[in-house]
Amino acid sequence: MEKKYWKGVEELKNDAEFVRLKNNEFYEHLPVDEVLGKKAESADSTSRRDFLKFMGFGMAAASLAACEAPVRKAIPYVIKPEEITPGVPNYYASTFSDGHDYSAILIKTREGRPIKIDGNEQSAISKGATSARIQASVLSLYDDARYKGPSIKGETAGWANIDSNIKAKLAEISNAGGQIRILTSTLLSPSTHALINEVATALPGTKHVTYDAVSFSGMRMANQKSFGKADIPTYDLSKARMITSLNCDFLSAWLSPVEHARQYAENRKLFGKKEMSRHYQFESNLSLTGSNADHRTRVRPSQMGAVAVSLYNKIASMAGVQEATKVITPFDDALSAAAKDLWNARGQAVVLCGNNDANMQEVVNAINTLLGAYENIINLDQPSNMRQCIDGQVEELMSEMAGGKINALIIYGANPVYSWPNKSAVEAAIKKVPLVITTSDRPDETSAMAEYVCPSHNFLESWDDAEPVKGHFSLAQPVIKPLFSTRQMQDSLIKWAGLAHEDYYTYLQNRWMSNMYGMQSEVTSAQAFWNSALQNGVFNTGNTERQAIQYNGDINSAASALNGVKSTGVDIVLYEKAGIGNGNQANNPWLQELPDPISRVCWDNYIAMAPSMATSLGLVQGNVVELTANGVTVKGPVLIQPGVAENTVAIAIGYGRTAAGKAAEGLGFNAYPFATYSNGTVHMESLGGSITKTTDDDYLLAATQTHHTMMGRAIVKETNLDAYLKDPKAGNPDVMIETYQGKKLATEVDLWASPKNPGFDKPNHFWGMSIDLNSCTGCGSCVIACQVENNVPVVGKKEIDIAREMHWIRIDRYYTSDMNEEKAKEEGLGKMGMLLEMEKPSDSPEVVFQPVMCQHCNHAPCETVCPVAATTHSSEGLNMMAYNRCVGTRYCANNCPYKVRRFNWWKYSDNDQFDYNMNSDLGKMVLNPDVVVRSRGVMEKCTMCVQRIQYGKLEAKKAGRRPGDGEINTACAQSCPTNAIIFGDYNNSESKLSQLQKDERKYHLLEELNVQPSIYYHTKVRNKIPSSGNA
Amino acid sequence: MKGSMFATRTCQALLVLFTLLFLFPAANTQAQPDGEGLFKSQCAQCHSVGENKVIGPGLKNIHTRKNQEWLVKWIKNSQSLIKAGDEYAIKIYEEANKTVMPAFALSDEEIISILDYVKAEGEKAATTAVKGPVGAGETADAEPGFPWVLLIVILTLLIIFVALGKVKTSLERLVRSRQGLPELEPVTTTRATKNWVRSNKKLIAVLFVVGSVWGSIKGWDALAGIGISQDYAPEQPIKFSHKLHAGQNGISCVYCHSGALKSRHANIPSVNVCMNCHKYVQEGPVYGKTEIAKIYAALDYDPNTQQYGPDQKPVQWIRIHNLPDLAYFNHAQHYVVGKQECQTCHGPVQEMDVVKQFSPLTMGWCIECHRQTEVSMDGNGYYTELHEKLKEKYGEEARMTVEKIGGLECARCHY
Repeated sequence: MEKKYWKGVEELKNDAEFVRLKNNEFYEHLPVDEVLGKKAESADSTSRRDFLKFMGFGMAAASLAACEAPVRKAIPYVIKPEEITPGVPNYYASTFSDGHDYSAILIKTREGRPIKIDGNEQSAISKGATSARIQASVLSLYDDARYKGPSIKGETAGWANIDSNIKAKLAEISNAGGQIRILTSTLLSPSTHALINEVATALPGTKHVTYDAVSFSGMRMANQKSFGKADIPTYDLSKARMITSLNCDFLSAWLSPVEHARQYAENRKLFGKKEMSRHYQFESNLSLTGSNADHRTRVRPSQMGAVAVSLYNKIASMAGVQEATKVITPFDDALSAAAKDLWNARGQAVVLCGNNDANMQEVVNAINTLLGAYENIINLDQPSNMRQCIDGQVEELMSEMAGGKINALIIYGANPVYSWPNKSAVEAAIKKVPLVITTSDRPDETSAMAEYVCPSHNFLESWDDAEPVKGHFSLAQPVIKPLFSTRQMQDSLIKWAGLAHEDYYTYLQNRWMSNMYGMQSEVTSAQAFWNSALQNGVFNTGNTERQAIQYNGDINSAASALNGVKSTGVDIVLYEKAGIGNGNQANNPWLQELPDPISRVCWDNYIAMAPSMATSLGLVQGNVVELTANGVTVKGPVLIQPGVAENTVAIAIGYGRTAAGKAAEGLGFNAYPFATYSNGTVHMESLGGSITKTTDDDYLLAATQTHHTMMGRAIVKETNLDAYLKDPKAGNPDVMIETYQGKKLATEVDLWASPKNPGFDKPNHFWGMSIDLNSCTGCGSCVIACQVENNVPVVGKKEIDIAREMHWIRIDRYYTSDMNEEKAKEEGLGKMGMLLEMEKPSDSPEVVFQPVMCQHCNHAPCETVCPVAATTHSSEGLNMMAYNRCVGTRYCANNCPYKVRRFNWWKYSDNDQFDYNMNSDLGKMVLNPDVVVRSRGVMEKCTMCVQRIQYGKLEAKKAGRRPGDGEINTACAQSCPTNAIIFGDYNNSESKLSQLQKDERKYHLLEELNVQPSIYYHTKVRNKIPSSGNA
Repeated sequence: MKGSMFATRTCQALLVLFTLLFLFPAANTQAQPDGEGLFKSQCAQCHSVGENKVIGPGLKNIHTRKNQEWLVKWIKNSQSLIKAGDEYAIKIYEEANKTVMPAFALSDEEIISILDYVKAEGEKAATTAVKGPVGAGETADAEPGFPWVLLIVILTLLIIFVALGKVKTSLERLVRSRQGLPELEPVTTTRATKNWVRSNKKLIAVLFVVGSVWGSIKGWDALAGIGISQDYAPEQPIKFSHKLHAGQNGISCVYCHSGALKSRHANIPSVNVCMNCHKYVQEGPVYGKTEIAKIYAALDYDPNTQQYGPDQKPVQWIRIHNLPDLAYFNHAQHYVVGKQECQTCHGPVQEMDVVKQFSPLTMGWCIECHRQTEVSMDGNGYYTELHEKLKEKYGEEARMTVEKIGGLECARCHY
């Protein structure tokens, strides 16, 4: 008998499982199909060999295909427009005004396509500053969700047909004595207002109602009572040495944030100055403004009125004026300090209030009168035209519609179905209107109810003007032919009302050549005036003289109304995010992916609460809870947000859109229903709510930063003004390294430089950037500007969650922790115990922001580890990245101490998995043709806008001169509303960059590594009351 | 047979060439130089020598329309003829929408010389129109690069080789039969080859080595050439000849490719630029009106009304120079700042009827040029200070190449 050796006991037993496995070469299933991207059910059909065959065939096919280059065509213009040279950008002055934000802008076009928006420096209002929303708005032109043409009841129709229909119906309604309403968001355009007046004359029974999602009508009411002017004043914060803000997010959301941020920063910069403003913030949510404050106090929304009254009382007592009813708040110390500072700085002090509450605004008016703020800072004689909505008129319209008294409604830009507190009431009311016409340029919840859709142009396709502030005009001009069959709302009105004007453009031009022309005397020909106004984009009539202010308000009744507010439950406060704002640009993926400046969360809103509150409710981040208040119940995830007031939750508005387009839909929930309408205004808060935890699975909140404190390290260097005045290097001591020769400056310990090899010289240019942490407010404008300029892809929530965001510049936000080394010693905590505690942000933290992009190290750790020399250094100090050389080892990213390198894990363009603007022909039109769209598997990072550097150098070379300082600028620096980022050439001793590096506050990030970055920071200085007590 | 055919062809081509050579001087002597100069300075703004209308009517065969005497009168003062009620004068005045032809202070001789010139031009156009294309077609065959001569030489050598082999075998057979030796077994070709291989092993080894080295070099070259489209010369939708425009007529490259002055793209001119000349030049020397008609078609242009129509279609040129997207190239940088001739990269375009890609456009080629080319720093304020610094570093006499100012760095072209 033949011998048989078993391979193991299993073979002897010979059980079924063994027999099955014996025939398989591989014990485990090979994930070939997953690799090939097929579905799991076909798993058995492909073997490893097939996989190799496919691979081999694929490679052969690819190389064969590469042999035959496709025929590419070059199609020139038939008749080239004189002003266009392909490859050379054109800039046009225009205006951004979407009913919520305003900025005078410059639009960069390439081959007739607008691709970038920057601020117009000639504007006295925005002075060249832009916000993230304005930067991102260029994408709204190329939004697939836009209306492509007119329709009736969803059926595509022709303009002629629609016009004759609507014209006849409107005439019929008007003749029969019916009522027509034109419902718009705030229109800054004086010409449009004039036109609407003409429409109202032509069609009797027509009225114009303005609706803003975030309204200021409380302030208008208060100013009517206090000063007899139902206006919103303008503010000049550059004149304010002492600012106290009550729930007012003036750096990111309130009234004219871009303008305020620039003014505010003027008094926060310390270059060549020895003083800066002091800023107190009393607020419920941790806002961007609050996180920049020197002293911040958390106040529940229900206590806010009492805080205002108490502040008034304190100042009144110092001013020797009759105090209002006595109130006691838990914030007496903070309020006393604020009051004292304000009073001492009277004439240069101001109190701002963000609540849409007439009583509170009236108390604040009284304070500001006592402080003399109306003499310098607040200007009622040159009022702002922003936020024209009167909530009472909207409410009246709603009841009129509900009562069937309105026969026709023409909507433009207003979206009350989404943003009015009572959505169902609005829907029911609009349903009662027989003729509903929308002229909005994109679908929204309100337009969805319209029978006639008559889409307007995008603002980049339109003629318009704006008067954001009395006497300050700006023009908007089309920079591209309309992409779709759309028509400007104003032109539609001219047609429908049968006005005699040729079109809105002629109307606008005629008005400017008569009215605005008549306001000036410099230019003596109307045509020349029009041309220069169009070229400059702006026109000012000069400032009007201020008149003395007489406060006539009734402080006592206002105060007692405020003192009556009580809340026992959970208070809910609504706020605007820096990116999404009121939600009108919600379908913009750039803005959705812009991390919230505070929470760093993208693509969502959430119920934010303080850590202590979450602990007491037994909640952790991501838990889904039900929030009920005023009969409204909403489900949403919890976010632990240090800095939110106790027993209060904060929710961002602008989410939960249902009819805005694919990027916006399904994100977050609508918080507007928590707004309440009372005393004639809409309040962005609900008091006395309750929270219950649901059994739902935890919700994923994707954030770009999940570690919140600096753990005792000096990443953001910080000091206080009094210490800085004593020692300009306060908070910024030299970084020393222990060596065998004793302690040495970190910059002197060098592995590379030797007498033989002194390092690389930079004979021509040496580019760099300076970032002043004192002026950076953290607004995120630079992030979007960089994204637009450099074709940075949108990656979506899932990728963000696994830390694969692609932004080339990020803004790190750090909270302070209650723990420090001294405290740890006192409490007897060990090192580990201390560090664990340090990780926890304080319940009411101080906040710092730090923009971080590639630091362009001159001893770059990334360059030395690249196996293929894809990232190298230039003789101009730039850390270069050759995408097509990169093989994707990611060694560089691992060796980068700043974590600024981004890897293309996917092909983000033309990929259905990333269905954002780079996956649509229309959306791709926004791409910058001077920057490569990176493909999968390569590393990328900030290039310091090398395309702009090269362009600027070439312009200088062509003209035979050196480029001047400021002539070349990076996208981030250009967009910064506070000029915190400065770009320049170290080799130009005149440049701002060279000047600023002499400042003692200058430091390099992680200086102990001595990687010699080309980018330096300036220590943040706060202006807190010195601990010795005296201000 | 082949050889003789080739000879006939060459003869034909030469014949045509000679005919043309004789014809041109003949035409030149016939026309009065005076007349040509006068025509170009005085008349060409409004009239062509062909049939086409510019502002006034085309003048081809003008001598058949009216006699010389009348023509002289008309040219001297057309208005007086019209006023005098001359029937023909009034007719053409009406036809030209009452556009007045200005009076010319020319002598009778001068006018006659102009008319002679017009007459000669008309006759010349007729001859070239008939013979021109034929000549071009015939000569074209002889020109292109197929090595006919080499082929013939190789063929002849082969024939000789085979013939000599045959001769050798028959001679051997003859010798053997004479000497009474037995006849050789007939050797098969394979057998013979094998024998030859056995007796020439060293030669075979050498040949094999040489062959494989040659093969690998050729193979490597072929693979390295993938994606390189040097000499790519696609047929364009309009048979535009740079040889005619840039070469013979001496039009500056940047007259049409004006983008090179300020942009990264040199730009193919839009058709309205063509019309700057082709409003007047309505007929080409080679293709007559057919190719120029394509310009008119693109603009929907009517030569009679001289208006562009609404039905405009752009010309879809085939792009010859296709740099990949990952490489940034700027024409203005090289042409304006670097003061490079277009021909440095594009080759002698002024000699090309059909434009081809002259340079390989590979990165190696770019780099090589950046290593060799000196930067023109003189007189450019941008470089003044830099030049001093570089002199310090590299010495007074050093060549300041593009490489020395960082021209080999990645981010100069890749971003």
